[in-house]
Amino acid sequence: MHRRDFLATGALGLVATCGTARGMGRSSEVGIALLKHGSGYDARPTAVEQLMWEVSKRTSVDVRERPGLVSPDDPELFEWPFLAWLGDGPCEPFSDAQVKRLRRFLRSGGFLFVDDLAADDRFDESARRELARIWPDARLGPIDDDHTLYRTFFLFGGKGQSPPVRAYGRTARVERLEGVHFDDRSPILYGRNDLFGAFGRDDLGSWHLPVVPGGGRQRELAFRLGINLLMYATCLNYKRDQVHTVEIMRRRRWKVSRPPATR
Amino acid sequence: MLQTLFDPAGDFNAARLVLLSDWGGSTSLLVGLVAAAVVALAWYNTRAQPGRRRGALVALRVAAVGVLGLLFLQPGVRLEHQSRVRNHVVMLLDASRSMSLPGADATRLADAKAMLADNAATIEGWREAHQVDLYALSDHARPVATVEAIEAFGDATRILTGLSEVAARFRPEDLAAVIVVSDGADNGALGAGVGGDELPAALVAATARLGAPVHAVFTGPDTAPRDVAIVDVAYDDFAFVRNAVSIEAAVTVSGFEGLQVPVTLRRGREVLGSKVLQTEAGVTRYAFDFEFVPDETGKAVFTLEVGMGPGERITTNNRRQFVIRVIRDKIRTLQVVGQPSWDERFLRKLLKKNPNVDLISFFILRTSASLDTTRSRDELALIPFPTQELFEEQLGSFDLIVFQNFTFHGYNMRQYLRHIREYVRNGGGFVMVGGPLSFASGGYAGTEIADFLPVELPTSKNELVFTDRFKPVLTQAGLRHPVTALSVVPEENEALWKGLPELTGVNRVAGVRQGAQVLLRHPSRSVAGEAAPVVTASSYGEGRVLAINTDSTWAWDFRAAGEGADNRHYYRFWGNAIRWLIRDPALRPVRVSSDRDRYPLGAEATLLTRVVGPDYQPKKDTLVRIEVVRSYFEGGTPKEAVAFAADGRTDEVGELMTRYTPTEEGAYRVTATAALEGGDIDDRDVFVVAPDPVELRETSARRDTMAALAKAGGGELRALGDGLEKLARTEPKVVKVNRRRDVPVWASAWLLLLGVLLPSAEWYLRRRWGLL
Repeated sequence: MHRRDFLATGALGLVATCGTARGMGRSSEVGIALLKHGSGYDARPTAVEQLMWEVSKRTSVDVRERPGLVSPDDPELFEWPFLAWLGDGPCEPFSDAQVKRLRRFLRSGGFLFVDDLAADDRFDESARRELARIWPDARLGPIDDDHTLYRTFFLFGGKGQSPPVRAYGRTARVERLEGVHFDDRSPILYGRNDLFGAFGRDDLGSWHLPVVPGGGRQRELAFRLGINLLMYATCLNYKRDQVHTVEIMRRRRWKVSRPPATR
Repeated sequence: MLQTLFDPAGDFNAARLVLLSDWGGSTSLLVGLVAAAVVALAWYNTRAQPGRRRGALVALRVAAVGVLGLLFLQPGVRLEHQSRVRNHVVMLLDASRSMSLPGADATRLADAKAMLADNAATIEGWREAHQVDLYALSDHARPVATVEAIEAFGDATRILTGLSEVAARFRPEDLAAVIVVSDGADNGALGAGVGGDELPAALVAATARLGAPVHAVFTGPDTAPRDVAIVDVAYDDFAFVRNAVSIEAAVTVSGFEGLQVPVTLRRGREVLGSKVLQTEAGVTRYAFDFEFVPDETGKAVFTLEVGMGPGERITTNNRRQFVIRVIRDKIRTLQVVGQPSWDERFLRKLLKKNPNVDLISFFILRTSASLDTTRSRDELALIPFPTQELFEEQLGSFDLIVFQNFTFHGYNMRQYLRHIREYVRNGGGFVMVGGPLSFASGGYAGTEIADFLPVELPTSKNELVFTDRFKPVLTQAGLRHPVTALSVVPEENEALWKGLPELTGVNRVAGVRQGAQVLLRHPSRSVAGEAAPVVTASSYGEGRVLAINTDSTWAWDFRAAGEGADNRHYYRFWGNAIRWLIRDPALRPVRVSSDRDRYPLGAEATLLTRVVGPDYQPKKDTLVRIEVVRSYFEGGTPKEAVAFAADGRTDEVGELMTRYTPTEEGAYRVTATAALEGGDIDDRDVFVVAPDPVELRETSARRDTMAALAKAGGGELRALGDGLEKLARTEPKVVKVNRRRDVPVWASAWLLLLGVLLPSAEWYLRRRWGLL
């Protein structure tokens, strides 16, 4: 993000007329909780805060910047519909009760993004093993290019195919995100390119970690993917049916008189 | 001669020879063969005798065998007193509605009745040899006692059906003749089949089965009457609310030139559309189509009317009334969301999963204050917020509008708020869901939206929200209100609400509008001395409004799941709310319905009233008043009159069955008013009493149909003026024997003596002539 953009945002914010908005409490804020399991959940400090800051500046979402930290047994788990599981190494299996609770979380409307921070396959093996336990009905598989995730706020693979559909992140180990499908949504998405590693900054504004192979564009696209993840978690397939709205109304022959004149 | 010989007293009028023995055929055959053999034997064993002797012996043998044969067969004379059984002359008099149209003098039926009266003597004369049976013919042939009992109420003319029913009732030998008196305006197979060079096969078959001559007496004018007629109206019995409905009509004009009359479609008394029929040379049929958009569910009576031509006598086919039932295909819901949130996410999931909801969502994903880091707008999956299309052009197409944490500021929407207020006033459902952009925080105070909200909005900007966690409390009103009815049992309902997860945050209001009902309240916060409302319901005009002053009802879904419960209460609450907001008929405490939408004249209507209490359980022993009002036209002027009224009480299952037989055509409105605790509550239904339009579609009398009938039936075609004299009839064939007596001829002493003497004479001669 450029400083000029930041200043422009501030200026626009000042002239915005709906400035009376004020949070209704934690329940009305959209936040992300980190899943406390194995190693790596604390390996990307300030990443969630930075992502949420970007979300708040680029979208209309009322965010909670500080992430939650919950284990599968935590009573707070169901306060956080968006759960991020960050891992950088092998992890112990979830207990059966934890598996059951996570499954309930996902089936009830929760969303889990799994981010592999490691440079090797050790977390990947653990994650796949545990995801198969949590969601035994379907296997992880690459999500399609036309998945709503890629159009829920920023367009990927749109006109001119730029930016292309990819699993953007701090690294570029894999091309595609994976996921499982259930009830017209993807409750689990899995990326192996250390997406949250692209977000963290220190107090002086410097990035915690460099992006590989590198470039501001890669980091920007990682942010866009992160924002889309949050939008997907909150809006589901809204964008999918919105593009058909006009056609739906036309096809159904909805026809109305104009409202009568008012006094 | 036999009669003279055997019945000198003249007690019988018929005599014939019969065999009184009861020998079987094979026995008789055997005896005959034996007799022939005996004669042949006599012929053979006398071959050596001179001719005279041989002749005498054989003659004696033949005579003896003959006499013994008579004794064996026992011949007799049967004396009978006989009388002939009268066969039937079946007279079918057309009683369809076309017979009410003008004939040569009066109506076609009246003309026919006059002809029958004039020919009463002829008919009476037939009764010596025939029984005369009278039937009223329309869609079926129905026996009637007198001509006077016949009225032209039939909804169809089915001559072949009538003939088939006569054939099924009478054997051919029992029929003398069939006489059909009709205008020939058959709207069944006969009317459709006549017109070619050959007689319709169905007609030929039907008359052949009768086995008696079929005569056709034609009544009606030979020239088509001057008439403007609605001959066809095409519409669907069901229509969907807020969907365009098409009604197509065909009008025929005969006998008028240069005619210009209006064609008008009305719903009740409201004119939905009007067009002009202008006749053209050589054109008799004109097509019209109307289109309108029903804006509320329920049944309505529609009237299509075409103006009368000058001097037109047939006016009954200038108007057609029918009922269209307007239903809701799906609950068209517009969800407008000010910002993505968990509350929006779970409500959207609920709405999308509801198969009865057709959801159009618009989410504000970014505001004018949002930062844009893209190189071009093509990198954003955003579309403009179509405010004009949604809130001006398409607003009326929605059943329910959900403003969820949405502020109108920033989208040039101020001018559309009055449209939303009118939308609600006219019957739309509206729910405002709380949040930091909603209610007073959304800047709605003093707007047209605030006019119809159930809560009053504070004008100050201080402390517009309470952010603490709380468990809402069910109020007395909420205990039994359909929106908050998680259970029909009040105690259980209260317990269920107490068991739901806590909510977070409430939009503060200044008070509750008069007439509104607070269903859920904050347990500790108050406004204007009253507990702060959380869920409040009210009506505005014809519409209903719900204020949900929190953006955390998603807790009843997701958090409930985390607590080991399920989300059915969240779904029940929102399902209730949606049904209440759109005035789901199933939630009405009083419902009345007729068993049919259209009744023919004279049919009985069954009116069923169902009453439920506040807990939606059947309410027995409730006083219900039923009133039926007839709407009709008198000289082109619409009028109304109470046709029926009755009081009754609901039974054990909360139902009251009322039966009523309308006696006049018209549109009928039924109002059922139940006396409930909160006052009288009513419901309405409509139906039409009208003849089947098929009868008056074609008003011309058809001589060709009657001619074909007479030709196929081997009878005569007559006009009314020709009368009924000398119509061919088959004489009765069936004979009835009143009494009988058998006189046995064989039982005579002379015959017995001959039976002894003849063989004895042959024995004597044979002995004398040396043959023994």
